[in-house]
Amino acid sequence: MLNLFAAETPHISIAPEAVFHIFGLPVTNSQITGLIGSLIVIALLLFAVRSTRDGSKNRLVGFVMWMFEILYDTIYSVVGDRAVARKVLPLAITIVFFFTINNWIGILPVVGAVTWHGTELFRGAAADLNTTLAIAVISIFTAQAWAIKRRGLFGNLHRYLANPFKDPLHAFEGFLELIAEFSRTAALALRVFGNVFGGEVLLAVIAFLTSYAAVVALPVFYVLELFVGAVQAYVFFMLTIAFISLGLPGDSEHGGSVPDDPVVGPSPAQSANTAKS
Amino acid sequence: MYTFFAAETTESTGLFGALGIDWRLLVIQAIAFLVLVAILGKFVYPFLVKSIDERRETIEKGLAEAKASQEASEKAEANIQKLLADARSEADDIIKRSHSEATAQVAEAEEKARSRAEQIVKDAHAQLEADVAKARVALKKDTAALVALATERVLHEKVDAAKDAQLIDRALDAPFKKERV
Repeated sequence: MLNLFAAETPHISIAPEAVFHIFGLPVTNSQITGLIGSLIVIALLLFAVRSTRDGSKNRLVGFVMWMFEILYDTIYSVVGDRAVARKVLPLAITIVFFFTINNWIGILPVVGAVTWHGTELFRGAAADLNTTLAIAVISIFTAQAWAIKRRGLFGNLHRYLANPFKDPLHAFEGFLELIAEFSRTAALALRVFGNVFGGEVLLAVIAFLTSYAAVVALPVFYVLELFVGAVQAYVFFMLTIAFISLGLPGDSEHGGSVPDDPVVGPSPAQSANTAKS
Repeated sequence: MYTFFAAETTESTGLFGALGIDWRLLVIQAIAFLVLVAILGKFVYPFLVKSIDERRETIEKGLAEAKASQEASEKAEANIQKLLADARSEADDIIKRSHSEATAQVAEAEEKARSRAEQIVKDAHAQLEADVAKARVALKKDTAALVALATERVLHEKVDAAKDAQLIDRALDAPFKKERV
């Protein structure tokens, strides 16, 4: 039975709940919300593309284009390589839009309130560790793939493995770096999960504690959660491109400088050299 | 097969189970996200990147053209100032030259006018003297005729031409001789 009213007491569950199964595979409430969020992202961006193509711009499209441009510039300024920046762009910018939209959907009143046979029908996509961990693993794998592509397989392994008798310091650093790769993955996943899940719990608890005064109290926390949702999406994006950038060889390693970008401007390495001189 | 009555949480146990991590959900979420990236990477981002690149190119081009126009304008302004300075200098020269030429022409005209006036005065004097001489001859002739007539009346005799002339000459010469003396 579909229930459109909120439960009397807040229902808190760390794990997502399966709403139904398809061929034995569970379909969870976070997946349903994630699917809706993804469709909204696709619709929003396709609308922006169509409007830009037709030349009929409005504030929403202008905002989306402004956001896209800032993210595009940020990717280039962090990665410092135009070719890599263009290849990384789809993953990095999708992370921002996916998490922002889903985090904002996650604080809508329908999330948690609407149930289907006693199970919450919607749950914030990022409030499911499976979602955040999956995207974190994709980010780290992408960073590794770029590192292997640019450094070579052995060149990349050399970052982690070294002969402890010849270069004990490098061997120790490599060991720490290897552990860091796993901790980065976990930190990426847990950071956004913790913030979003904590936010949803906070809203549920505030709504429960304030009772009828929730009408006054909740909007303040809604604004806070809107801000947190966008910031967490941006943090995930920044860390993803930073990890990719860390895996790329620097100027001194491949013996050349990053070419100047005619559109975006001088590369960060060139800007730093200019500042020094 | 759809099952609408499965409200249990994921069955995994341990730390991962407590956190709700299920490898099947993990794989499904990863695939779903990669599909989203692929769709956006295929249909959205190339166009948006192209759009931004084109817009920036247009802005860069516009800025370059504006800079070139400004430089051309400054150059034209400098040329205009130079031309104006040259024209002023040339005009000053022309005015100075024409002023001196005018002064010379005026002096020359004055000189011509003066000489012409002197000539006219000289001619007038000569004409006057000629007229006076002519008048004297005519007066002398008339006077001779009057004297002859008067003499006839006094002498009551006809004076012939020879005598008449003689008398007249004598009569006329007498006053002139006195004047000459």
